[in-house]
Amino acid sequence: MSKRQLAMVMDLNKCIGCQTCTVACKTQWTNRNGREYMYWNNVETYPGTGYPKHWMELGGGFDAAGDLQPGVIPNLEADYGVPWDYNYESLMGGMADSNTFHPHVSPTWGPNWDEDQGAGAFPQDNYFFYLPRICNHCTNPGCLSACPRDAIFKREEDGVVLVDLDRCQGYRYCIAGCPYKKIYFNPKISKSEKCILCFPRIEQGLPPACAQQCVGRIRFVGFLDDEDSQVYKLVHKYKVAIGLRSDYGTQPNVYYIPPTESPAKFDAEGKIIEGSTRLPIEELEKLFGPEVHDSIATLKAEMKKRKETGESELLDLLIAYQHSDMFRLDNNYYQQVAKENKRNPLAPVDTRYIAGKFTHAGGHH
Amino acid sequence: MNKVITSLLSLGVACSAALAANGAISAVKVSDKLDGISAESPLWAKAKYTTVTLYPQTAVHMNDKKANEANAADKAKNAQVAALYNGKTLAINVKWADGTKDVQGAYSSDTYSDGFALQFAGATKKSGPLPYIGMGSDGRPVVVHLQKATASVYEPNGNKDVSTQINRNQTNLFGKDLADYDAKVASLAKTDYERSFVGEGFRSLTEIKDGSSASAAAMVYSSNGWSGTVSRPLKDAYVNSTGTVPVAIAVWDGSKMGRNGLKNLSSWVAVNLEGMKPDAKIVGEIAEEAKGDAAKGKEALAANGCAGCHQVTAADAPSFMAPSLQNVGGYSTVAYLRESILKPSAVVVPGYNRNAHSNTPWYTIEKGKRVSTMTDYSFLDKNTVNDIVAYLKTLKAEVE
Repeated sequence: MSKRQLAMVMDLNKCIGCQTCTVACKTQWTNRNGREYMYWNNVETYPGTGYPKHWMELGGGFDAAGDLQPGVIPNLEADYGVPWDYNYESLMGGMADSNTFHPHVSPTWGPNWDEDQGAGAFPQDNYFFYLPRICNHCTNPGCLSACPRDAIFKREEDGVVLVDLDRCQGYRYCIAGCPYKKIYFNPKISKSEKCILCFPRIEQGLPPACAQQCVGRIRFVGFLDDEDSQVYKLVHKYKVAIGLRSDYGTQPNVYYIPPTESPAKFDAEGKIIEGSTRLPIEELEKLFGPEVHDSIATLKAEMKKRKETGESELLDLLIAYQHSDMFRLDNNYYQQVAKENKRNPLAPVDTRYIAGKFTHAGGHH
Repeated sequence: MNKVITSLLSLGVACSAALAANGAISAVKVSDKLDGISAESPLWAKAKYTTVTLYPQTAVHMNDKKANEANAADKAKNAQVAALYNGKTLAINVKWADGTKDVQGAYSSDTYSDGFALQFAGATKKSGPLPYIGMGSDGRPVVVHLQKATASVYEPNGNKDVSTQINRNQTNLFGKDLADYDAKVASLAKTDYERSFVGEGFRSLTEIKDGSSASAAAMVYSSNGWSGTVSRPLKDAYVNSTGTVPVAIAVWDGSKMGRNGLKNLSSWVAVNLEGMKPDAKIVGEIAEEAKGDAAKGKEALAANGCAGCHQVTAADAPSFMAPSLQNVGGYSTVAYLRESILKPSAVVVPGYNRNAHSNTPWYTIEKGKRVSTMTDYSFLDKNTVNDIVAYLKTLKAEVE
């Protein structure tokens, strides 16, 4: 366990599956050198196969006794999907095959292959929602526990889980050990790589790229022990944000506001079945555990309160009037850590989102 | 036995032939240059090959489900090992059968390469037996030279080169400039996966990157098997060889998802440098045979409840409770087994990340030292210990 924990909350009620986060992450970190197939951030349709395919059934994590469970390492072609490209150059250059536009490999699988399919029968009771996923920067990481070389560490100052690329020898037990399959093998450098929670941005007072680019404003970022942070309020004060599959025993630090409302079902004549909901609560229980009931109850109560009185701190938070309302990073904190550890304390490049307890009024700009 | 060996040693060169029967390797002295010697060098015709048995590593079970299934019924395999030396350099050739050639570097997430490694005991002032076979132990360091079978792989991190890490489609280059860029990337491609490490126990292995290890390794595949060579100085910052060089050998089979602990390894093997005085202590330790009665040892093992934590068979305690003993007879010396019974904390196999099985740690850390959670069995009488050691020496897989 680290001294402090930086956490993210994602409001699933607001995710529109636009993949802007995915692209923000990919262009920043994973579009080159063996990372082409990796999505440190992905948005999958739930229910669905997910990315990598059927990740929830691939093992890893811990049992009730706290013992690391064996897992399976996904196959690049069959489970992740080969990133394919098109013959742009031959088309542009007027080469032999220029009259046909085709991918360089025949795609058989890829992320979001089953996008928007969901479950149920249209139009009676079909349903789905989007599930954006990044590394959970777990308090008890399965990847870290599986590494036989101590090449994975959790930063003391903010709990970000990182791979020590110097120690990593590409054994891939971490991939088997992570129940979320959010750590990937880079075949070009023969090392494992994963979401770094954009720590170079975080340290400069900027939220992770996926969060800052989110057009739906679904992502909150802040320290869990900072009572003024949005994530503290959503996770601890109102207890509406819950970890994904916490039954895996890794204590994930990305929290989700569960989908609260879903439309009613239709009967055979196409009429609304009053009081019915399309999204089975069992599906949410599977993802978020029994706490999902309390979370939804609180959200509904606050919505009602807001309707009646016009006031609700929780809904104001979730509406996120200003994007900067969603992030509370800690400017001088990282500089203090840098100083204590004799690292180079660089000034943050952007001060819009920093208002943590270590951030002095006026800053140093 | 020790006495017998010591007296044999006084016979000098003659004894190395006698010891060969015990699995020792005779390093033939040559005057040729041996640095970077290939497996195909004609010099190997002068060498004397000895059969060394490599046992499946089962002390620690890793958490890869498919790999564990693929290796569940692993047997031991024999390798042919020979050594050459000149005044400065020792070269070792290892030949082993492998029906499939698995090469590193495919754009793949779940394939693995064949490989081999040689482990040398590091120079130490600490007295006591040879380092623990699993990458050494506290105060008893080892040096490991690893070679994996490779194809051409571009490894920018190895070159500390970031300017060529950009996807070609994202450069602002076109035409000839882009072709030049591609050529530059290709020219930086590394074709070798050779590493040297120092370690004081499983998980402590650290790569030597400062050039202080002047070793060279290579491997060649032909007719259903690999031939691998390592050449290294007899003396350097890590190893201070005498007339006998203790070496351990490991091979990985990529088709069985072998990497890290999923391998076959030998116990320590003595490489005696012909014409030099063998090191009696090392030769004696490696050649020592168990003196006890294995049948009685089996009973003593049961009476002392060893299988409550250790796997003697796969049906015993879960593998993470303590190191599995299923092949301990294959890759351990008698001295190590005896020491582990009498002084469990002398060598603590670090085993799993302590976080992986937090309720059953193999050791606690007291004053920065690993203290084994195993009961101290130093109260056992000498004969019982010998019997247990004799039984443990029988625990090993058959040769395939």
